[in-house]
Amino acid sequence: MNDLLPNLVALILLTAITAYSTAGGADFGAGIWDLLAGNSGRGPEARRLIDYAMAPVWEVNNVWLVLAIVLCWTGFPPLFYATFDRLYPLFALALIGLVLRGAFFAFRHVADNPRTHRIADLVFGLSSVLTPFFFAASLGAIASGRISSGSVLEASFSPMSIAFGLVSVAATAFTGASFLVGDARRYGSPDLVDYFRQRAVAAALALILVGTVALVVIGFQTPELFRSMLAGPGLPFALTTMVLTPLVAFVLWRGLFRWYRVLTVAAVGSLVFAWGFAQSPYLLPGRLTIAQATAPGSTQIALLAVTLVLVLVVVPSMGLLYYLDQRSALESTEH
Amino acid sequence: MAATLWLAGESALLPSRIQMAFTLATHVLLVPLGVALPSLTLLMEGIGLARQDTVALKIARRWSVVMAVQFAVGAVTGTILSFEFGLLWPRLMARFGAAMGIGFAIEGLAFFLEAIFIGIYLYGWERLQPRTHFLLGLALPPAGLLGTVSVLAANSFMNTPGGVKLISGHVTDVDVMAALFTRSLGYEFWHFLIAIYMTTGFIVASIYAVAWLRGRQDHYQRLAFAVPFTVAAALTPVQLVIGDLSARALVADQPAKFAAMEITWKTRDHNPEVVGGLIDGSGAIHFGLAIPSLDSLLVGYSAGTVVPGLSSVAADARPSIVEANITHLAFDAMVGLGTAGVLLAAWYFWVVVRRRRLPDSVWFYRLAALAGVGCYAAVEAGWVTTEVGRQPWIVYGLMRVSDAVTGAPASFVWTMLATLVVVYALIAYFFIYLLVRLAARWRREDSLGPSAPEEGAPYGPRPAKLGRVGS
Ligand code: HDD
Ligand code: HEM
Ligand code: HEM
Repeated sequence: MNDLLPNLVALILLTAITAYSTAGGADFGAGIWDLLAGNSGRGPEARRLIDYAMAPVWEVNNVWLVLAIVLCWTGFPPLFYATFDRLYPLFALALIGLVLRGAFFAFRHVADNPRTHRIADLVFGLSSVLTPFFFAASLGAIASGRISSGSVLEASFSPMSIAFGLVSVAATAFTGASFLVGDARRYGSPDLVDYFRQRAVAAALALILVGTVALVVIGFQTPELFRSMLAGPGLPFALTTMVLTPLVAFVLWRGLFRWYRVLTVAAVGSLVFAWGFAQSPYLLPGRLTIAQATAPGSTQIALLAVTLVLVLVVVPSMGLLYYLDQRSALESTEH
Repeated sequence: MAATLWLAGESALLPSRIQMAFTLATHVLLVPLGVALPSLTLLMEGIGLARQDTVALKIARRWSVVMAVQFAVGAVTGTILSFEFGLLWPRLMARFGAAMGIGFAIEGLAFFLEAIFIGIYLYGWERLQPRTHFLLGLALPPAGLLGTVSVLAANSFMNTPGGVKLISGHVTDVDVMAALFTRSLGYEFWHFLIAIYMTTGFIVASIYAVAWLRGRQDHYQRLAFAVPFTVAAALTPVQLVIGDLSARALVADQPAKFAAMEITWKTRDHNPEVVGGLIDGSGAIHFGLAIPSLDSLLVGYSAGTVVPGLSSVAADARPSIVEANITHLAFDAMVGLGTAGVLLAAWYFWVVVRRRRLPDSVWFYRLAALAGVGCYAAVEAGWVTTEVGRQPWIVYGLMRVSDAVTGAPASFVWTMLATLVVVYALIAYFFIYLLVRLAARWRREDSLGPSAPEEGAPYGPRPAKLGRVGS
């Protein structure tokens, strides 16, 4: 009973990380496709769609990231300390990537000369790859259970952290392409629908491949995590990902445009949940459990109250924004 | 190997403090417009709706775009700040996260609301019923207010901690309400709130003051000048009163900070007020203008009031001499600017009330054009007073800055700092460029007819046509 509060807050923390991985992931993914689009063929057109898809939301997804950090330091101060104390290289790199990405996204709208424009595109694209890589690498470093052994560099850059980082790059590319299919459809551009459909399928295959390699790495490095991912509490989520990722690829390959975005989010979200549940009740495997790291009960109650208000107020507001966005899309096709 | 060497080295205290100061000082430049511009915009929209004034509506619509650009930059710099609590001060949150973190959690909630409603507000122009649009916009000021009060709650906790039970340095129990509403929140909140409304009013008005000086003096310019300027000018004297209350509260709450503000060395009565000037290590004052007994008079309304001096606090628990001088000069700058603001406000109201029209003196508009920048300077100076005056404590009396700093080597933090300075310079450049270009576009459009300024802005609706957004 005493564990209920901290467990709930840990679940909310995991949900915030998942929301960032999917909502932010769609954004980063768009940046990755921007990088790969090139300047010939359909590249420039694809880039314009990416701009169009990203401009309105710009940095709003950051709120999920901020929320995750805040939940971490308030709800589980020792976890916050241990990760930042040991993994600061990863966080600093991710942070720099995040700012560069924002700055150069703005820059390319301002740059008039083609050469600076290309540089801006390049920095924006590269930072879209590196940022999710480093964020996820920190999760991998945590999952490895070895953040406090060896040097800071060894803790930050281990096979596990690199495996997690690569999975996240594939996952964001997948999410990005799948959402861009939606944007291309909404904009009524069949060429680009095909363009991103093919890329979504390719990214799904890449995700399956990299995911399998990552599982092997997990199996060698942390057999316990491997077991609870495939036979313990992580299993339902791991299974969901394994079923949904090929399913989305199939759906898009056949050109059946239904549910593919929801399924994409479910696939990538389950991936994060599979990790989180597999290592529960540990926040730092082998070292720190949820119960050991928890802030006093009054703090956890306050966090739950804030979350409740967030759900009650923010969800309907977001619904309204979404509704207006869709309606204005309808209007602009009527014109 | 080189990487390993680079990752070993002395303490990162100095670069960490510089980085924190740099990023906070930048972030706070965006805060006034982020919190207060929505209110001004709604006020303008309300005037437009009530009087069927299309000019007022056009102004409101354009301000809403500035609001969105501004919010986007605030989001980037704010995200960096959040990370810095881990990258620079991991031990602060390890010990006090359970208490001061709650303020930040509420802040997260508030920013969510702000981001969403800015989106709705921008979409809503001409797509919603005017009244509905206005009513939905009314969510923005309270969201901004909630964000402000919760960040300040965290900062006030650092100044006058409360609501925590400590056993051998560990927080074992938190009284959430007491940790959120600590003593200094009372004055910090009102003082800062008024500061941001003043700043926003003056900076917006200053743009139109410049336009006035350049000869554009039509209805549009006058309205866009008068509304924000009146709000800001009315708040200025109130700010002086609250600032005075804060200063007197500090005598009890943080005597060393107060002593640094006034560069008082020995605790004494009949203490003079030193304007300008510097203190040295022996307690002697150089330069500056000392007004006899004024400090004691201001604190307790009598020359016999005893005020605290720096030497009454142990040397390792008070600001260093350099820090005391910084605190003092920053405090004087703030008070000086505030006083100048009151004089300008008096001039304005004198003309408006006596002559029932706006001033027409060129000098008035020259000063009005400077008032906005002056306010930003006062805000920065105020924060320097608060933060440097608290040294060497990160949480007053409970934790030292040097005990909170990261274990990362100095070279690492210096590198991060250098990178951030470069990236921030870029961001500042785009930000200003974007605003200048918007203004130019609007001037062009004034001769062309109706347009939708919010299309393509961050958080704004997607443009109807697929094209280069933002151009
Ligand atoms: C428009 C801006 C502005 C103006 C005109 C003033 N201030 Fe101020 N002041 C601020 C903007 C500000 C601020 C930036 O908002 C601060 C920083 C921290 C805070 O809560 O408010 C601040 C802090 C601050 C503090 C430190 C509070 C603390 O450490 O907790 C004191 C003692 C004063 N102020 C006093 C004054 C006095 C006596 C003023 C005029 C005579 C004055 N301020 C004008
Ligand atoms: C927004 C306006 C603010 C500005 C311009 C500002 C300015 C500064 C400056 C100049 C320093 C360096 C002091 C020194 O090292 O001598 C500093 C330190 C710091 N500030 Fe602030 N501050 C602001 C608000 C806040 C808020 C709201 C918080 C927390 C909720 C905060 C937390 C800190 C921390 C943790 C440090 C580092 C430790 C220390 O030096 O005490 N600041 N800030
Ligand atoms: C007096 C101090 C501060 C005030 C009043 C303040 C207020 C604001 C406001 C109004 C915004 C929205 C952006 C804008 O409108 O410009 C913002 C953004 C942000 N601030 Fe601050 N801030 C302060 C200091 C801090 C500090 C110390 C932190 C560190 C944790 C912080 C974290 C953030 C974050 C994370 C965002 C981005 C939120 C988003 O993504 O929407 N702020 N802040």
